[in-house]
Order: sequence, then C-alpha cells, then structure tokens
Amino acid sequence: MGNGFLALVKKDCRMLASGKFFLMAMGFLVLYTAYVNLGYLRFMRMPPYNVYLYDPAGTQTEKSSLVWSVSSVEEMDAALLSDANGVGLDASAGEVRVVLYKGAEHVDRHRADYALSLLEPAASRTPEVLGTNTPEQKARKEITCELLFFELAAVGFLGIAAVLFKEKGMGVIRVHAVLPLRKELFLLSKLAVFLLSDLVFAVLLTLLNVGLADGAAVLPAVLLQTAVLSLLMALVGLLCALLLKDFRQFTLAYLVIAIFAATPVFLSANTSVKFDWIGWHPFYHIYMGLKNAYFGTAISPVYYAGAVAAIVLLFLMVQLAFHREMGKEG
Amino acid sequence: MGGLKYQLKSVLRDKFCLMTFLLPILVAAALNFMGSIDMSSLGELHFGVLENGLPPQTVTWLERYGPVTAYGTQEELTAAIMEPSTNVIGVRADGDGLKTAIAGDELDIFQQAAATLPALYERRAEAERAEVLTLERPDILESFQDIFIPAVLIVAMFMGCTFNAMNIISEKEDGVALVNEILPMTPGQYILQKVVVGFLFGSLSALVTACICFRLSWQNAGMMLALIVLSSFVAALIGLFIGRFSEGLMIGVVYIKIVMLVFIAVPIVCALIGVSGPPALLCNLVPSQPAFEGMMALSAGDMGTAARDTGILAVHCAAWFALYGLLTARRRGCRRPG
Repeated sequence: MGNGFLALVKKDCRMLASGKFFLMAMGFLVLYTAYVNLGYLRFMRMPPYNVYLYDPAGTQTEKSSLVWSVSSVEEMDAALLSDANGVGLDASAGEVRVVLYKGAEHVDRHRADYALSLLEPAASRTPEVLGTNTPEQKARKEITCELLFFELAAVGFLGIAAVLFKEKGMGVIRVHAVLPLRKELFLLSKLAVFLLSDLVFAVLLTLLNVGLADGAAVLPAVLLQTAVLSLLMALVGLLCALLLKDFRQFTLAYLVIAIFAATPVFLSANTSVKFDWIGWHPFYHIYMGLKNAYFGTAISPVYYAGAVAAIVLLFLMVQLAFHREMGKEG
Repeated sequence: MGGLKYQLKSVLRDKFCLMTFLLPILVAAALNFMGSIDMSSLGELHFGVLENGLPPQTVTWLERYGPVTAYGTQEELTAAIMEPSTNVIGVRADGDGLKTAIAGDELDIFQQAAATLPALYERRAEAERAEVLTLERPDILESFQDIFIPAVLIVAMFMGCTFNAMNIISEKEDGVALVNEILPMTPGQYILQKVVVGFLFGSLSALVTACICFRLSWQNAGMMLALIVLSSFVAALIGLFIGRFSEGLMIGVVYIKIVMLVFIAVPIVCALIGVSGPPALLCNLVPSQPAFEGMMALSAGDMGTAARDTGILAVHCAAWFALYGLLTARRRGCRRPG
C-alpha cells in the first residue's frame, strides 16, 4: 500500500509541475514579496496632522517644533488645500483662529484642539505601551497574513481544480475504479501534495516578509493554521471539481468565493468597520485563526473542534462524490 | 455577418461570459452605494475605559473626540487595546489628569493622539473658547472613488480580453481552431469576428458602468466614449494574443491574471506615487495607463490631457492590430509550403 501511495504522490507532483503550478506559486511569491517590501509599507504611513501657523506679529513664542510657520494667509490656504488633513492657525488678529477643511465631526474637534495645544506644549506624557510590535512589524504581519490567506483560499484553490479537471477530463478517476488500490489513497495523495506545497509556501512567505527572527517565532502556530486552511480549501476544491461539469463553471464559483466571500472578511478583520453578521461567515473564523497565529493571540479550542469537524465532514462528502464519479459510465 | 451571429449566440448561452460582463456593473453599483456609507470612522479615535473608572464628565469630554467603550475587567480592556484591527486608546484617571495606554503598533497619528490626550484634557476649558472656521470640502470618500471608479472601468473593459482569450482557448481545445484554418475566410475576417464580440460586450459593460458612476457633460461624455471604445478594442486584441499563446485553459487563466494585475497595478501605482518623467512615458506602454489617466483627467475636467491620452490609445490600437496581423500572416506563410 505504501508503494502505491508513493507512486500516486509522485504522479500528482509530476502533474502539478507540468501544469506550471509550482512555477505559478513561485511567481506569486516573488510578486507578493516585492509588493510588501516595495509598496505596501510605504503606503501604510500616516503621520500626525500638520499644523500651519500664520503669526505675523510673532505672538506665539512657546509653540512646539511640530508647528510649521507660514508667511502669509495665501501660503496657509495653499498648504491646507494640498494637505486637507492639516490644520491652519491664524494668529494675525490677536486671538488664534483655527482653520480646517471639514471631515468627520469628532476628528475635526480633535484636530482643532490638538493644533491649539501645540501652541503651549505641556510636557507630553508618554502613554503606557502594552504590546511588543512596532508599527512596521504589525503592518508586515497583517499584510503577510492577508496575502497567505488570499493565496491559499483563492489561487491555491484554482490550482487544485485545474489539476482535477484535467484528470477528470482524461478519465483518470474512472480508471481508479479498477486499480488494485484503496480508493481513499487517490484523495489522500492529492491532499498530501497540496498540503506540503502550501506549507512550503507559507514558510517562505512568512520568513521573507515578516522577517527571519519574528517570522520564525510565529511559524509553528502559522503552519498549524495553514494546514487547517489548506486542507479545507483542497477539499472544497475537490468537491467543486467532482460536482461541477467543466472548468468554466468552476471559474464562476471561484469568482464568487474570491470576491464576495473574501471582501467582507478582510474589511471586518482589518479595519474598525465591523458587520454584525460576520460571525456567521465561516471564512471570518478561519481568517481570524490565521491572524491570531501571526499576532500570537490565543485561539479558542471551539475553533479547532469546528475546523476538525468541517474537515472530516468535507472529506466524507468528497469521498461520496468520488465514488459517484467512479461509478459513472463513460 | 452570419459568423458573428453564431458568436453572439454562443456568448448568450454561456453563463460564465455573461457573469464576467455583469460583474463590473455590480461592483460599480456597489461603489455608488458605498458613497453613502460612512467610512470616515476609519480615521476616528476610539477610546476604551474601565466601567466606573472615569468620572462621567470625563467620559462626556472623551466622547467629543470619538466613541468610548466601557469594559468590565482590565483583561478585556487590555485585549481591546492589543487587538490589531482597531486603534483603541485605553484611558484611565491619574490624579487630576489622565493616563493613556496603547499597543505600540498603531500608526503615528494614533500614537501622537494618545501622547497628547492628557495635555488636551488639562487645557479643555481654553480649547472650548477658541474660534474654529470649518471649510467645506468635497466628500471624503471621493478621493477613494476617484481611483476606484476608473479601476472598475478598466476591469469592465478587460472583460472583453478575458472573453476573447477564453473563447479562442476553448476553440483550440475542442479542435475548432483547426477547422477554422481550412474555412474560406481571410485572416482579416477571422480577426475581426473574434475581436468584435469581446469588444462589443467589453465596451457595453464599461459604458453601463460609466453611466452609473459618472455624471458628465455632453462634450466630456464624447471624450469618455472615445476612451472606452479605444481601450476596449485594445483589451479585446490582447485577449487574442493570450488565446494564441496559451496551450491550455489553465495556462490561459494564469496569463489573464498576470495581464490583469499589470493592467490594474500600473495605473494605480502611478496615480498613488505620482510618477513623472521617463518612467511615466514607459508606463504608457501599458494600454490601461493612458485610459486610466484620461478618465482621471476627464473627471477633473482637464480636456487637454484626456485628448492626448485618447491619441496614445489610438496608437496602441493600431500597433497591436498590426502586430497581430503580421504574426498571423507569417504563420500562414510558414504553413503554406508544408
């Protein structure tokens, strides 16, 4: 049996290689790494509001070094126009007047009060810092987590289906019905190959983008979550491939998953926009599992129980669909 | 003409094709709807306090700056502060003043806000006296929409490319491509028939998307139409190239994804970073760049730039068409003696 399994794994690997699956995964790895290191970290900077002061008489003597002095009202207007989040302070008429472009109500109040406070800076009290991550570490972990999830849930899923549709089209599944091998081996070898390639991808992506030291620290937890996600996606991919008629129909299913399933999850998990119904979204929990692994937060055992139950259930469904497919007559 | 009728028929029967054409329209409608959702909470300050940890008037004062959530225990508060997706600032009383707590991984803007909050609290009476002049500014989301809407339009046009590529690849797989070779049809007719369907649907989908998203004057609408038609044509042509060079459906999908990524990434990155000089000229080699730039210029009312971009797109159309014609002619030339 061991020999048969190895032969199947070998065949699957060869097929993935000929379908350029590994090449595609490597290409995406390079692309993601370039995006994180060259683009994302640069976009994710948000400096404090700039404060511009017009003070021709020089009445504000104690102002903080964070305040930019401008020489005319026109210059201040131009500065605010190009930096709409900035705040202007006009001290030309004695009393200081705050000028700012309208934004959200609460934020505007804070901007105005913050700008005024810079004119008489008090000794700023450093806030108590509870965490250990720097903003850059957080940004790196967050984007790596998103990319890994996207790659496994969307791109990997596509690869699995492409391989299976090819086999289905060639009639390989039906041939298995007459081979002297246990029927589950066909499914298990596929799952093993995809799991292994996903794990390698996760290791490389994490080490390259989170950093060697930080990456290595979170790697065991991340690999566990990757295994859960990879098995789930591979099983869903197998199920789709067995149930749907052709690759085109599958691309539709894929589009729906990639766009409609992933967007609300990303929005809820990464920003302060929270939807009430997101708890019912299965992808949300999987994504949060992966994210918690990256940030070292504890994961509830209920989640693991649910994940194992889902994997077993999906495996049984796939097995059923597989037997049905084998039973079909050419 | 008869061939074209068959092509159209096959499109209408294909759910996948119809879906790809409908998708950008759906996204455009969603974006339009999103304009009315308040996304400004993203930049808002959020405070976390312990239940009964602060006097009520201090909580009221905090609420001036953003929502305040009360937590039952210190552990819950710490977990909320540490939660990576939010920027909760923990606040507790410290004598007469306040003390703040953060996770340390927040963006600079939130760290600065936490550091200055105690000082703001101390001078709260003075701050309320100051005169504040608020200037009207256009919708906050508009800056996002400026980039999103042309991006959706480009996706819409790109659907023509996807359709053509898929169409040719499946013909190849079914063996129809070989039959086509011996049909009494000139290469020109073949290209035209193949381009037209993707082109028609791509521009139709982009037009509907544009109608949902933009309110343009007649003159600008004419320019927008020219931009849409030209870029859909280029996209449809690129679809022919993809179809020609891919051996199977899977590889075709990979090519489509890569081309789509380049098509969307180049103009957006250019717009965000503000590329100028020779690199900007180089970016114009990607056809979506002039299309995107032209649409951004149109929405800002800059007709000169839009006209220049339309010119660049026209050059793209001619160049890609000539290249494809040349390749087809050469292949035919090679085959004939054999």
